[in-house]
Amino acid sequence: MTLLRFDAVSKRYAGGHEALSDVSFAVEPGEMLFVTGHSGAGKSTLLRLIHLAEQPSRGTVLMEDRNLAKLRGRKVALQRRRVGVVFQDHRLLLDRSVYENVAMPLVIAGVPRAEIGPRVRRGLEKVGLADRERAKPRELSTGEQQRVGIARAVVAQPPLLIADEPTGNLDPTLAVDIMDLFASLPALGTTVIVASHDLMLVKRMRKRVLVLDHGRVLDDIPATELAS
Amino acid sequence: MSATEAPAPKPAPRVDPATLESAKKVAAVRRRNRGPFARLRSWLDLHFYSLVSSLGRMAQRPAATTMTIGVMAIALALPLALWLALANVQRFSGTVSASRQITVFLHQDTGLDRANALATQLRARHDVANVIVRTPDEGLAEFRKMSDLAPSLDALEGNPLPPVLLVDPADDGAALAASLQAMPEAEIVQHDAVWRDRLSAWLAFGARIAWVLAVLLGAGALLVVGNTVRLDIQSRSDEIGVLQFLGATDGFVRRPFLYLGAIYGLAAGGLALGLLALAGVALQPSLARLVTSYGGGFALQGPGLVGALALLGGALLLGWLGAWLATGHHLRRNRPTRD
Repeated sequence: MTLLRFDAVSKRYAGGHEALSDVSFAVEPGEMLFVTGHSGAGKSTLLRLIHLAEQPSRGTVLMEDRNLAKLRGRKVALQRRRVGVVFQDHRLLLDRSVYENVAMPLVIAGVPRAEIGPRVRRGLEKVGLADRERAKPRELSTGEQQRVGIARAVVAQPPLLIADEPTGNLDPTLAVDIMDLFASLPALGTTVIVASHDLMLVKRMRKRVLVLDHGRVLDDIPATELAS
Repeated sequence: MSATEAPAPKPAPRVDPATLESAKKVAAVRRRNRGPFARLRSWLDLHFYSLVSSLGRMAQRPAATTMTIGVMAIALALPLALWLALANVQRFSGTVSASRQITVFLHQDTGLDRANALATQLRARHDVANVIVRTPDEGLAEFRKMSDLAPSLDALEGNPLPPVLLVDPADDGAALAASLQAMPEAEIVQHDAVWRDRLSAWLAFGARIAWVLAVLLGAGALLVVGNTVRLDIQSRSDEIGVLQFLGATDGFVRRPFLYLGAIYGLAAGGLALGLLALAGVALQPSLARLVTSYGGGFALQGPGLVGALALLGGALLLGWLGAWLATGHHLRRNRPTRD
């Protein structure tokens, strides 16, 4: 079953600006997809549609054959639990520890306390922050904060992870490290979609790339083409 | 260093044995945590999380918390104090009405034998419950006891007080009072029905005022909690947004604020009861002096256990409702989806 499908999706905002126009593509489970394009190309809007922060003006967004536009109330929250999100500005809870931040999706999902500890520690191990679980986000470097954001996004093992410019605030070395971390997730069963305007970094990863321009799909380059 | 200068990409790591081992442990824990008891524990965990979160928020702002609870407590204490005052007055007037005889002052030249004969006649009437004869000597002794005029009374040559009949009516006493007034031996007949009716009317009016006050001040308490929770929500709107992105339901977002409102209410209710108890202690001595002059053994009564529990429950409900309204308003306005 296809994990995510955009069928002729358009999004027009209240002011009349069309952020996405007739966008169609599909993502299979275990894939890693980069969405790239210049600023204002529609990358963030595309991710916001996946995460139910917006609804399409036309067309349908299907995740696991479920039409996201038809979800209402509690089902919106439940659907969001199936998509991990990594933000450029991390959006960590600053008055909570690293452990509490990473544990939050599990607390929200009602996972028993006995189960939360091992899963959080496993998530922190995965991002190399096992020894920082008691630290507050302000005590961490930008790269570490982003790693906490990633651990939080994957701790509940969602089938899909989306990241909006996750390396935007990082220096190039850290950016490569973070991208490598994302690249490791499909092997653990999480499909990853990363929006990034850094073409060089995207090319370097040699994964499938969806190129947007003024809200339209300009190109859909398979990983095999970039690898060769 | 730019991304172009970065080293060649590492191959995507495979799942290493340590990760697999860790995953197996997690899976084992997950297996243990299925079933109804695990779900109940999970539900309790969520509520525990919300409760701790609410207490943490209160502890972070002790001054604001104290002021909110104080204002709410006063808003609750005022109508309750009025109610208690009315209840006590009603009880007191009941005590007075229990001895609300028709007092018949006989002519001074009426002898004690005649007074006793009149009492015997009156006791035979169906509209008379009881008759007590108070002799002039008894009257003088009582007068001496209740006033500071003992030296002046000693200076009198004789006893100027007449015999008095204290008649308890079997009904409202109006007709009886009129017939007693017609007795040739009666000089003055004092019947308390008029002032009692007036008192009842004032008590009913006071009870209505207490209701109006309770509604107004209850609404005020509701707004106080609602506004406090609203400010708390505003200061945490970013956090709420993040929680919603992580999949938090409206219930999850709302629950800590509901606990916050309920705790505010409960604390305010407790403080209101404390304030009333203090007021009672402050008023009791002067009231005791006043009551003694009426010859009663009257003591102020508080709301009682049921009343206190009702106040606490009502206050808790008010706080909860204020928080529910404030969070509902915020969730409706700031829903990050589908608008």
